Amino acid sequence: MTDAIASPSALASNRRKIKVPSLWTVLKWIAAISVAVVALFPLWWMFSVVFAEAGVPVAVNPRLYPTSFTDGFAKIWEVFEETGYLRAYYVSIMYTILTIAGVLLISSMAAFEFALFDFPGKNALFAVVMLSLMVPLAVTLIPTYLLVAQLGWVNTMQGLVVPGLASAFGLFMMTQFMQSIPKETLEAGRLEGANHFQLYWYIALPLSKNALITLAILTFMKTWGNFIWPLVVSNTREVYTVSQVINQFNSPFSHTTVDVVMTANFLAAIPPILFFVFFQRWIIEGVQMSGSKG
Amino acid sequence: MTRSLRTLAPHYVMLLPFFALFVVFFLYPIGSGFYYSFFQWDAINEPTYVGVENYSDIMGSRKFEKGITNILTYVAITVPLGITVAFLLAVLVDSFNGFWSKVFRSAYFVPVMMPLFLAATLWRWIYAPNFGILNTFLGWFGIDSINFLNNTDTMLLAMIAVDVWVSAGFNMVIILAGLKNVPQHLYEAARLDGANKLQEIRYVTIPMIAPVLFFVVTYGFISALQVFDVPWLLTTSEFTSYGGRRQTLLFPVMDMIGRGFGALKFGEAAAYGFILTVIIMTVTATLFLIRRRIK
Repeated sequence: MTDAIASPSALASNRRKIKVPSLWTVLKWIAAISVAVVALFPLWWMFSVVFAEAGVPVAVNPRLYPTSFTDGFAKIWEVFEETGYLRAYYVSIMYTILTIAGVLLISSMAAFEFALFDFPGKNALFAVVMLSLMVPLAVTLIPTYLLVAQLGWVNTMQGLVVPGLASAFGLFMMTQFMQSIPKETLEAGRLEGANHFQLYWYIALPLSKNALITLAILTFMKTWGNFIWPLVVSNTREVYTVSQVINQFNSPFSHTTVDVVMTANFLAAIPPILFFVFFQRWIIEGVQMSGSKG
Repeated sequence: MTRSLRTLAPHYVMLLPFFALFVVFFLYPIGSGFYYSFFQWDAINEPTYVGVENYSDIMGSRKFEKGITNILTYVAITVPLGITVAFLLAVLVDSFNGFWSKVFRSAYFVPVMMPLFLAATLWRWIYAPNFGILNTFLGWFGIDSINFLNNTDTMLLAMIAVDVWVSAGFNMVIILAGLKNVPQHLYEAARLDGANKLQEIRYVTIPMIAPVLFFVVTYGFISALQVFDVPWLLTTSEFTSYGGRRQTLLFPVMDMIGRGFGALKFGEAAAYGFILTVIIMTVTATLFLIRRRIK
């Protein structure tokens, strides 16, 4: 940097040749790496606690790196076998899969109509759904619980899943996307004799693949991580989700050890991490897409 | 233009699943919640009409006052801090190119993937006195163990740290998309005018990404005002006792849940939801007005 200022005529081409990085670059790298450590260390620590030799005090082994994989797998086995976690894992997976399937189907069906057709009442209906995006969750939580209780759906899978299926955000996102489907494609399909439902299933849906994947991922993150709805609506071991079991472990009188809590957390982190590894591009684009609507 | 029912029917059939669920599980609860908010009801016996008593009881209660004070302090710190951090991270990631930019972006985004319940319980043990990793670090520097989650001076800050840890990457990615859309020639023009790095950010970057920042701020306020998972788990709350030591981490949604499922006052809890909604909508409307002013 100082060199460049000393000989301003040298300009950029000369700076390329200088191997010594500028102070700015060094600081930038230090900052970037420090932030990465802060972002990742807690998860690394969680991993190291799970795969640490059981019973060794923190003063001897502060769990900065994994020390025993056999003990780690033993802890995972123990958590699955002795705490009902396996059942909760199954419930969480079903809750997530059913919610994703339902949200994708229901919102894409409605979005197909809003994006590509005209019919009486269209604008009014769409406006109501858009207004609902402004309504905070806090206001519907208690009365939705009361309704679910009246239906006799407390502690059932449908009680967990069904109230979350009409996703206004999903409808909005799919409508935005489907508007880019050229109407001529549908016209061509119709000329070949496809009926309305076939146009949706065989033409519109395949063309919306990217939007469907994005919506699926956003729904996955919301559902797998949902804490407050399972907290109020599933109160028995049969329908505990992963978040509920961890809430039990977390309660003041549970006497659960840090090893068990971290093992449960580690197992809960696996699906999101796998999703991130395989779908990173869609996830980041999905988040950016939800941001650009502002 | 008249179209027969036959040609219109398929449209409504396709809309039916969404709107049936929307009416039953969204519109109806809003209406029934408003109705219940004027009743005293434990969800077992018959409801009794009490007029606006639920609303006046809530607003006159110590817990409401505590919850509102806490949420205002919390929001005033966490939203500006979180977005500043996210903005700096976005600028930092943007200053790298190609491979390393992607590596750091991914690294900073990983915590966003973690469910809030996981972040909260993980950090509860990081903060644990004596053997938590944070106190272990502090011990190496000769600092006595601090009980972060039971000390009224540190509780809120400890919670905000968790908050920023999980959400910074989310906002960063959105801001990053905004940064990519700033035309390069504006920076070149600023540099020709003799602007330094900070002036570039102040006079080029921030005005150009104002719409994105506005979204992040609005979204940040709406979700922060409804904060629940993290304080609930950090303070090991239960329906009948929540908010931690001296109710330092007592927030409105926690109080609403407690009044419903702990005290079995569902009418009061429903009323609480409406009070909260009015507060949230007022904040949102104010933000929109400010935005329009600036424009």
